[in-house]
Amino acid sequence: MSPQRLSLNPRSLKSRFTKGFLRSLRKIHKERPTSTSPREIFQRYRKVKTAADKSLASAVGSGRAWSRAMLCKCKNQGKRRPVLVRRINNNRAMKRSELTEKKSGDDDEEVGFDQASGLRKLVPGGQAMDLCRLLEEAAHYIKCLNTQVQVMRCIADCYTT
Amino acid sequence: MDPPLVDATSFSAANPPSYTLSEIWPFSAIDGDPAGSGGVAGAGLGLRVGNLGPGFGERDGSAEESTVTEQSGGGGGNVKKRRDLSSEEESSKLVSTTVSGSELNGSNGKRQKVSGNRNEINNPKTETETSSATNNKPAEQSSTQSEPPKQDYIHVRARRGQATDSHSLAERARREKISERMKILQDLVPGCNKVIGKALVLDEIINYIQSLQRQVEFLSMKLEAVNSRMNMNPIIEGFHQKEFGAQPFDATGLMFGSQATREYAQGSQAEWLHMQVGGGFDRAA
Repeated sequence: MSPQRLSLNPRSLKSRFTKGFLRSLRKIHKERPTSTSPREIFQRYRKVKTAADKSLASAVGSGRAWSRAMLCKCKNQGKRRPVLVRRINNNRAMKRSELTEKKSGDDDEEVGFDQASGLRKLVPGGQAMDLCRLLEEAAHYIKCLNTQVQVMRCIADCYTT
Repeated sequence: MDPPLVDATSFSAANPPSYTLSEIWPFSAIDGDPAGSGGVAGAGLGLRVGNLGPGFGERDGSAEESTVTEQSGGGGGNVKKRRDLSSEEESSKLVSTTVSGSELNGSNGKRQKVSGNRNEINNPKTETETSSATNNKPAEQSSTQSEPPKQDYIHVRARRGQATDSHSLAERARREKISERMKILQDLVPGCNKVIGKALVLDEIINYIQSLQRQVEFLSMKLEAVNSRMNMNPIIEGFHQKEFGAQPFDATGLMFGSQATREYAQGSQAEWLHMQVGGGFDRAA
């Protein structure tokens, strides 16, 4: 762990994510939360979480399918339109069922259906990928999640001093 | 779909005088294309050979189908290779008929040969014995061209013909890709190398991703609490500048900080988490 932290490249994903995340954290902080009601706290937590996801996705860029899906999700989350969300979900479900019908013979013999669908749910935008792509995106997503956790832990530890 | 049937029907129908073939064939096997070389040989041998041209073309097609079923067990190749093979095989067929004098004996011998050694169809012994030395050259060339892909892809499913063959090729490539990706994922997830079986490996991967996502949620809760409770701006600025400078000591500083304050952080998280749980309940209710 420690040698990875020591080498910090300004162009690296880690520093780009840190920059973006700190910027959005400062923005959240500037809103000056006055109330300490649980609902407010929860909303602020959602904001921080969305900021973390968004800055990670934008640090990765639009080259990856999962980051595109994550950016799209963050955008939709801010707007809060239940009808639209439901329609999109229906579309996705439809596409998914088509895909599974088409590919069930191929994919399910490779790995169990439960595992593949579980992985699809976890990787953002994984509903519309075939298995090969899904595995590739999952590998990259795991790397980026690791980076995200490292950086966020660093920042949190730095704050609590 | 047996080679003798095709040979018997099309052979006798297309060219009754089979003796001329021994003269024609060494010429036509030079460039490996019977229909094209029919014209070349036709200049030398006259009208009868010209009549043979379309017959050759037809038999090339039918013989190709028949030989695909025989050879596709050995492996999947492209169309060109098959055409070479079929034409070469046909040449051996024809030559052997001229030698033995009866079509049935020749085709039987050829068939034994095909079932005996599929990988070395290109160099039949009857051909080398009977035909001239020029006949061997294209055979060797086509054998050198077609052998490497044969060794790469060996299928069981490729027995039905060309379409299934290419499909199974793609299928195999896809499988290899998937297992490659699985290996990469296994390397990424700690403790996943010892797990055997794709389903179990995927379970491990799913668990790992879930734990990472939960960690992110937890850390963002923590950050929210810290962010709203204190006035952090100076720290953020300092952190930011260090990040911009991208010097290595900021990382070490962060590390020292993390080790020193871990205890306190854990303590503060506990009480703070209760608040979050309460918040969740409130929201749900």
